[in-house]
Amino acid sequence: MRLVPFRYTLRSLVVRWSPSLFSALGIGLTVAVLGGVLALREGFKALLSDTGSDDVVVYLRPGAQSEGESIVRYPVDTNVLKTRPEVALDASGTPLAAAESYLGLKLDRTDGTGTTIVTVRGVELPASLRIQGPRWRVVEGREPTPGSDEVVVGKPLTSRIKDTTIGSTLTFNVTPFKVVGIFENDGAYSSEIWGDVDRICAALERPFRQRFVAKLKPGTDVAAIATELETDKRVPVKAQTEKAYFAAQTTALGGVLGFLAGILTSLMGAAAVLGAVNTMLAAVGARTREVGILMSVGYRRFPVFFCFLVEAAIIGLAGGLIGAVLVLPFNGLQTSTTNWNTFTEIAFAFRVTPSIIVTSIGVALVLGILGGTVPAWRASRLVPTAALRRL
Amino acid sequence: MATGPETLARMRGITKVYSRGGQDVRVLDGLDLDVGSGELLALMGPSGSGKSTILNLLGGLDRPDAGTIEVGDTEITRLSSDELAGWRARHVGFVFQAFNLIPVLTALENVELPLLLTPLGKKQRREHAEYALELVGLKDRMDHRPKQLSGGQEQRVAIARAIATDPTMVLADEPTGDLDRASADAVLDILSRLVAEHGKTIAMVTHDPAAARRATRTLHLEKGVLVEQGTTSHA
Repeated sequence: MRLVPFRYTLRSLVVRWSPSLFSALGIGLTVAVLGGVLALREGFKALLSDTGSDDVVVYLRPGAQSEGESIVRYPVDTNVLKTRPEVALDASGTPLAAAESYLGLKLDRTDGTGTTIVTVRGVELPASLRIQGPRWRVVEGREPTPGSDEVVVGKPLTSRIKDTTIGSTLTFNVTPFKVVGIFENDGAYSSEIWGDVDRICAALERPFRQRFVAKLKPGTDVAAIATELETDKRVPVKAQTEKAYFAAQTTALGGVLGFLAGILTSLMGAAAVLGAVNTMLAAVGARTREVGILMSVGYRRFPVFFCFLVEAAIIGLAGGLIGAVLVLPFNGLQTSTTNWNTFTEIAFAFRVTPSIIVTSIGVALVLGILGGTVPAWRASRLVPTAALRRL
Repeated sequence: MATGPETLARMRGITKVYSRGGQDVRVLDGLDLDVGSGELLALMGPSGSGKSTILNLLGGLDRPDAGTIEVGDTEITRLSSDELAGWRARHVGFVFQAFNLIPVLTALENVELPLLLTPLGKKQRREHAEYALELVGLKDRMDHRPKQLSGGQEQRVAIARAIATDPTMVLADEPTGDLDRASADAVLDILSRLVAEHGKTIAMVTHDPAAARRATRTLHLEKGVLVEQGTTSHA
C-alpha cells in the first residue's frame, strides 16, 4: 500500500507551525515534569544504591529494614561477630569490623526555617574509616581522635545545618562535640555526622549499637553467610552487602517518587493529549479539502489515517525534544529531602540519565500518537465528495 | 441495453438521493448514460440538475443508491471503498473547478502525487510528471507552488495531474468555471488536444457554451433527467 508522501506531512506541519508548536510545548512540559521527577528518583537511587560496596557486609537485627529499627547487642554480639571467619583482617591481624550506632537528631537549619533530622553515626575509630577506604575521605580539617568528643561533618550539611563548620560545637543531649573536620563520601554517608561511637552512645545514653559492619575476605559467599546467620542460635542477625542494604533503602521514597511521576504524567499527559487532539482536529479541519484531493487521486483510507498520525507523532517527538532540553539543565543540581526509610535528611543531585531522556521522548511520542489517533481516523473516514466541497 | 464496442462507461438505472435540510432530494432517477471511448462529452444543465453527481459516480468518488456503473470490464458499483480508491488511481483523472492542488507541494510534486500510487520508479515518475507538465505548457513552472501560479496555470497543472498516470478517462467538473476567457480557452485547447491527439476520453461538466462547443457530444440534464442530446464536430 502506497503512503502519502512524507514531504506533504512535513510541509503541512511547517505551514501550520504555530498550533503545532504550542501543542508540542504542552507535551514538552509534561515530559519535562516526568523527566524531572524521574531524575530526582534516579539521583536518590544512585546515591544509595550505586555507591555501596559489595565487599562490605552489614549485619542488622533479623527483620530490621534499616539501621533505625535495628539493635545489635554490645558488646555481647559484636564481640562474637568480630571473630566471624568472613571478616577480613588488617596487616596487624586486627579485624576490619566495627559496631556502629545510628540516630537521627533534630538540628537547626542555617536558613532559619526550623529543624531537620540529621543522621549522627557513632563509628569505631579507625576501623569504620578503614572499612570504607577511599570512598570516605576528610577534605578539610582532620579525622576525630578516638575516645574524644569530636565529630566530622558531611560536606553537603555544612551549608544547610547550623554549627557544622570546623571549630563549631554541636551539642548532643547535653554533651558538646567539637567539629574538627569535613568529609566527603561517594554515597549515602555524605549527609551524616560521624564521631567516636563510645562517646556518642554515652552522650545519647544508648547502651547498644544499631549495626555491625565488616570488610569481607575476598571470595566470600554473602548469601551463604546470610542463610547461616539467620538461624544462628547465639547471634541471629541479618547479613547483606552494603550495596544491597542501600538499594533496599530506596524503596519508600523511590516508590513515592515513582508514584508521583506516574500521577503527574497521567494528569498532565491527559491535558497534553487533549491539546494534541485539538491541534490535529484543527489540522484535519483546515485540510479537509486536501484529504478529498488525496482520496480523489486514489489514496486509500489507511494512508490518509497514517499521514495524520505521523504528523501527530512528529508533534509528539518535537515535544519530547523540548522536554529533554527543559530537563537537561537540572542534571547535577543539588537538592535535599527526607529519606522515608530512615526519616533523616539526605542531600543528592538530580541525575538526568540517557534512559530518562529516552523515556521522556518515548512518552512524548506516545502522547502525540494518542492525540492524533481520533483526528486521523476522522480524516480517513471523510467522504471524498463532501471533503472536496469544503472551503 | 446493449453497448457498442466504442462504449467505455455504462451507467444503468442510476438513482441518487441526497438528504438536504432533512428532506430527501432525488438528484438522479433511473438515469442511463453511456460514455464512448475517445469522446469529449459535455454535461450541461442548471445547478442541481445532477451533472456533478454523474461525474462523481462515474469516477467512483460517490456511490449510487440504485443502478450499476461499468467502466471497461469493471462494475465499479461492486467495489469496496479501498478497491474503489485503487481503481481511481489507475483509471480516473479528476479536474475540478477550484483546481484543488495541494498548496504545500510544487507543481511537479502535485503532478507526481497520483504517480506515487503506481509501480513506477522515482526517475520514471519524474519523467512522466515532467512530460505531463510539458503537455500543458508548464514545464518551466514545475518548481512553483500553487500560490505562485495564476488560476489558468493552476488549472493546467491540475490537468497535468489528471493525465499523468495515463488514466482511462478524465473527468472535469467546471474546468473553466473560475477562469477568465483567455485562460479558459487555453484550458479548453488542452482538453481538446488530449482527445484529438492522444485519444483520451473526457467527460466535462460545464456551464460555459464555449466549452460545450468543443465537445464531441453534449448532454443536457434537467432535474436528473437527460432532456436533449447534441453532437458537434469541433473536437
